[in-house]
Amino acid sequence: MLTITNLQASVEGKEILKGINLTIGKGEIHAIMGPNGSGKSTLASVLAGREDYEITGGSVDFDGKDLLEMSPEERAREGVFLAFQYPVEIPGVSNTNFLKAAVNEVRKHRGLEPMEPKAFLKMMREKMALVEMDQAMVSRSVNEGFSGGEKKRNEIFQLAMLEPKLSILDETDSGLDIDALKIVSNGVNKLRSKETSTIVITHYQRLLDYIVPDFVHVLYKGRIVKSGGKELALELEAKGYDWVKELALEEVV
Amino acid sequence: MVEFQSKLEQEFSLVERSLNGQAKSPIHAIRKQAMARFAELGFPTIRHEEWKYTNLMPIVKQDYALTLQAASSLTKADIEPFLIPDVEANVLVFVNGSYSAALSTIISDKGVEVMPLAEAFTKKTAVVEKHFAQYAAWQNDAMLALNTAFSLNGAYIEVANSAVIEEPFHLLFVNDSRQQSTFAPARNLIVLGVNAEATIVESAHTLVSGENVGFTNVVSEVVLAENARLQHYKIQNDVTQSHFVGALHAHQEATSILNTVVVTLSGGIVRNNLNAVLAGKAADTHFYGLYLVNGKTLVDNHTLADHAVAHCTSNELYKGIMDDRSTGVFNGKIMVRPDAQKTLAYQSNRNILMSPNATVNTKPQLEIFADDVKCSHGCTSGQLDDEALFYLRARGLDREQARALLLYAFAGEITEKIELEPLRERLESIIAERLHQELV
Repeated sequence: MLTITNLQASVEGKEILKGINLTIGKGEIHAIMGPNGSGKSTLASVLAGREDYEITGGSVDFDGKDLLEMSPEERAREGVFLAFQYPVEIPGVSNTNFLKAAVNEVRKHRGLEPMEPKAFLKMMREKMALVEMDQAMVSRSVNEGFSGGEKKRNEIFQLAMLEPKLSILDETDSGLDIDALKIVSNGVNKLRSKETSTIVITHYQRLLDYIVPDFVHVLYKGRIVKSGGKELALELEAKGYDWVKELALEEVV
Repeated sequence: MVEFQSKLEQEFSLVERSLNGQAKSPIHAIRKQAMARFAELGFPTIRHEEWKYTNLMPIVKQDYALTLQAASSLTKADIEPFLIPDVEANVLVFVNGSYSAALSTIISDKGVEVMPLAEAFTKKTAVVEKHFAQYAAWQNDAMLALNTAFSLNGAYIEVANSAVIEEPFHLLFVNDSRQQSTFAPARNLIVLGVNAEATIVESAHTLVSGENVGFTNVVSEVVLAENARLQHYKIQNDVTQSHFVGALHAHQEATSILNTVVVTLSGGIVRNNLNAVLAGKAADTHFYGLYLVNGKTLVDNHTLADHAVAHCTSNELYKGIMDDRSTGVFNGKIMVRPDAQKTLAYQSNRNILMSPNATVNTKPQLEIFADDVKCSHGCTSGQLDDEALFYLRARGLDREQARALLLYAFAGEITEKIELEPLRERLESIIAERLHQELV
């Protein structure tokens, strides 16, 4: 599904990603953990196509295509979805109109006709139930006046509507209370399939109790310094990140 | 410039001769004073503080005909594109300042007296004399003095106490400059009685050919008696070979509510003055404006919320989207007089510049002479929010769609203030088309 090879990226001349190697297969969930400032969110942004970053080296292959050559909208249409760490409030644009436009763009890219209004509404209702969103929330402007938890639920609702191949959840757990965390995780789990893959970026192990990863990677100073199974997350929880920092030092030596 | 000014002075004496008996009326006495004042002041130049960014000189150095008595050759088909679709409305059509009964339709007959102002001068003399030129202070405003001098026709609407008129009044000013460049003045007087309610739409349209240019000058005086409610919408989507200088002067008694929306989509030089005097306790006034312009259009909005007494509210939001070499001017003044304690006054002006050659000059002016008031103002000018653009693109919308959607939403905050649904929908569809909006 996704092959990242020696990916390097910088922002305003400062190198943030210093050679990332990562392969994600179909149906897999990968967790990327790491201390603050390790480059986790940068990796998510670079994969989604945020233009503030300069790619200085490496490549990203997405289902046989060069992901880095694509505009953000092409990536979305090809099936890459970024659940934002800080979803943007867009006053005056209703969730419904926005989603209709987005869903139809993705369909057009796949050679499908725009959805009939009736079918679209039916799909909305089904996906709303998945993340326990009500009609009032969906009718409002995109994220406007939403609480932190509502914004994150809205991200997963959009994910459900757009049916991506690869979902990247960028600190979706930050700012969530335990109830919202359960709702969001439950939504993600229900959307899991053998055909889709997920990258879960998180600072804490807590989210991984609910969204159980197949692989855990530790990012530190722009490099993956350790990879393992889901038990690695528990080890990090118990030992903290200092242990990993030492590991990184050893590697350099 | 002097030529057009002296031509106006000559035209005025021609007009006087045609007035017959009315030449001795108190109204005409005001016209004469106003003409004399205009002759003294002359057209404003950019040295005048109120005209700093709007140079009328290129407009007034042209020659214009003043054809107040001319019969119109226009047909209903000619004005059809200017009408609001799907609405039962009173439509009063003025062609080069003259009322056209043939093109007009008046359907409201209960609770309202509606007629051309020329007719009201004789039929409604007492009401006209009580209000005419009492709110639009022409003494220190050359353009207002000019309009007052040529206030021969326009709309007269008098809504009776407690009458609620459902059908809107569309005042349609056509400047027919196909034969020759024409100056078309008009003057409206709108009087709402106690508890009365009405909706008024004003629009100006210019027909041109060749190098001709139309110059239209419409002033409305509006009186809201106690607890009256008026929706006033001004729609400006004229050809670029047209110039417009106009004003709305409102006088509000206690607990009256005025809701004004000015939407400018196209034109040459467009200047709108909007003044509301909150003269009765707990009166409420709302100023909303949208200018979405391109090319070399210049839109200048000057507003004044004048709080004369206590407990009144004014709320103002003007938004601009400017492309190409267009220019926006916003001058919003809030005056809080010494007696106006407990005033609430809010003002905001927000602009998006789509091109490096577009400019906006924005100036809030607060003059506060009372101590127990809440006033705020703010203005922003900038580009579209990059974060929002990226968010939309990350969901599959291309850059153009994302931009159109954000701009449409930005404009929507103003168009949603239009309660007359067919008008709102019409404007929204024009705006959507303009923004290459593909969303339904």
